[in-house]
Amino acid sequence: MTPSPKSARENAILATPLVGFLLLILGFPIVLSLVYGFSQTTFTTLNSPEFIGLENFSTVLNDASFWQAAWFSLRFAVITAVLQCAIGLALAVYLAPLIRRHGWMVAVLIIPMIVAPAMMGLMYRLVLHEFAGPIPHYMYAWFGWSPAFLNLSNVFKTVVVAETLQWMPFAFLLFLTAYTAIPQDMREAASVDGTRPWRMFWKIELPMLMPTVFVALFIRFIDGFRVFDNIYTLVGAGPGGSTTSMSIYIYEAFLRQGAIGKAMAAAILLFAAAFLLLTTIQRLMKGRSA
Amino acid sequence: MTQWKTLLGGTALSLLMAVSAQAEVTVLGWPGGPEEAALRAVTEIYNARSEVAEADKVNLLFTSRDGFFDKLQVDLAAGTTAFDINLIATYSIGKYAPFMEPITLSPEADAVFGDTVLSTMKFDGAQYGVPTDLSLHFMYYRRDLIDALMADDAAKAKYAEISMKYLGEALQPKDPDTWTWQDFAANALYFSQSVNPDSPTRYGTVLQMKNLLFNMMVFGPWPRSYGANWMDDAGNITVDSPAYRTALEMAKMLYDAGATPPDSTSYEYAEANAAYTAGQVAAMVQWNAAAGDLMAAQANTTAIAPPTGPDGRFTHIHGLGLGLNKASENKDGAKAFLTWLSTKDAALAYARAGGAPGLTAGTAAELAAERPDLVQVGEYASTYGFVMNGATSANALGVYEAQAKEFTGYWAGTQDLDTAMKNITASMTDLLK
Repeated sequence: MTPSPKSARENAILATPLVGFLLLILGFPIVLSLVYGFSQTTFTTLNSPEFIGLENFSTVLNDASFWQAAWFSLRFAVITAVLQCAIGLALAVYLAPLIRRHGWMVAVLIIPMIVAPAMMGLMYRLVLHEFAGPIPHYMYAWFGWSPAFLNLSNVFKTVVVAETLQWMPFAFLLFLTAYTAIPQDMREAASVDGTRPWRMFWKIELPMLMPTVFVALFIRFIDGFRVFDNIYTLVGAGPGGSTTSMSIYIYEAFLRQGAIGKAMAAAILLFAAAFLLLTTIQRLMKGRSA
Repeated sequence: MTQWKTLLGGTALSLLMAVSAQAEVTVLGWPGGPEEAALRAVTEIYNARSEVAEADKVNLLFTSRDGFFDKLQVDLAAGTTAFDINLIATYSIGKYAPFMEPITLSPEADAVFGDTVLSTMKFDGAQYGVPTDLSLHFMYYRRDLIDALMADDAAKAKYAEISMKYLGEALQPKDPDTWTWQDFAANALYFSQSVNPDSPTRYGTVLQMKNLLFNMMVFGPWPRSYGANWMDDAGNITVDSPAYRTALEMAKMLYDAGATPPDSTSYEYAEANAAYTAGQVAAMVQWNAAAGDLMAAQANTTAIAPPTGPDGRFTHIHGLGLGLNKASENKDGAKAFLTWLSTKDAALAYARAGGAPGLTAGTAAELAAERPDLVQVGEYASTYGFVMNGATSANALGVYEAQAKEFTGYWAGTQDLDTAMKNITASMTDLLK
């Protein structure tokens, strides 16, 4: 049924405050970012940006550090998203019967998510320190040796593990909800037909969990790609920029180098890449469900 | 009618209070630590002075140290009037100068602080701040370890053997006050279990190699003692020099040999102190602010100036200070406080309350019994203090940032020295043009 002109007008009037609010809160920074992205701007010329066309974008795209940061973020996001989802899924399936009886276990398992990422970084900085941290301390006491968790050869693995331990519970929670929502009678019917548990998981449960798997992978990928707090407080930008994520690159360009135009250009490129990815995935998922 | 009168009266009172609040002088200080305690103490003294008008009393404002200078940058650029006076540091004066105003110090400031220390608050020849705290570097070493080494002939032979192998010359242990950087390196190698399994400490030194601008300040005296500078007098970038290369190569050699913890590429102030206070490090170069903690944890610790090189003995110096916000709404009140802060009485009160001002020998002598460390700081600042050519420019912080990225990359092995030198020369040319 087509809405009458009157109700359409009423809808428009009712939506105006919300649209106005969104335009103010989201629109203003976006417009400002676009202006600065195409301008020569520093902290002393915030009010008088000089239009320079695509120069900032050219600077960013020709900056080896930008590509290094992009590669770091991509690698980090893919690995952590896959690890978190794989472990989260395994735990959800394995612990579901136990959690059905002891619901309080969920609260315990999601504790890492409650801690602020920046605090998590600081905590690992202490925990992994060779002289102050308990892990190296006990490794030296028991084995006479401890790995250097934060040197160049190990730092990537360390930040991946830290991120996975903190955010795996999020994936676990999603999978647990989806897993417990699978109708029990479907499992019972399969059992009556003699389906073994492993086959039941592969052929019945996992296909039903796949939409949740895609959502979890997508959310964790986006979160991993824009990682900042925990890495920055743990190891900073890393020796030679080896742990510089896209967010750290933008932060350093903006505040440390005062290159506001360059930082905004990088942020716009990041936004464009994320938008493209989101649209592609949406189309793929639509095609799959059609 | 009565209601109207009450409303008008209330509004007038609120306005009066608002104006009065604006008229006060608000100081944004360096939060936490002795600097805050000292600033609180001198502010109390200032506010108690009879000649200070009620409207010019000083309020203090503190935020967190994390990202302090980033937040300050944004506040100043936005033209904030939330504070009249703000903290500045030598390496960031150029960055904040466009948002600040030069000030005039008291006539006695020269005699109280001396030229070297006052110049840490200057930009383009103008005085932008009152120096409140001076930072420089000491070399801290374990006297007990050195004494034992000097008294043991077999240990001396081992020391010579190690230095021959790693440094190409057979060195003998000597008094640390006469060390060159070669001696520092030899000592670091000898006291490292990866090189000398009999060493009483796990590492001979602890180098701060994290990609962090402050670590480049700690590293600075090393290349400087070999004659390094950022620029020559003509403004040419001179970072790619034998001096910088020598110091960088020596530091990398120590890292690769295991003379500093393998996690050193993630170490800054706190991590390095933790290594030393654990008793597993023989000697280190660290900020003077660490003296109390290091000496309390390792009673046999002695603090002296960093080692010498072919060009002399140097220590990086920079000052923290307070300067005038250009957007201040009570500039007269702010200037009055800053002028008073640069007097001898204020400097002595600040020092007695735990601050670390860089004082001339004559002024520091008045505190010799209470703060002997300030005598040493003042002496080292005037004798060994250096500021690289360009290190107070608008982009000095950017230069330190760029050095941190390139040099730590070389130390960690993500790039070779030639690439690091090429990159840093390009960055510094761009930043200091």
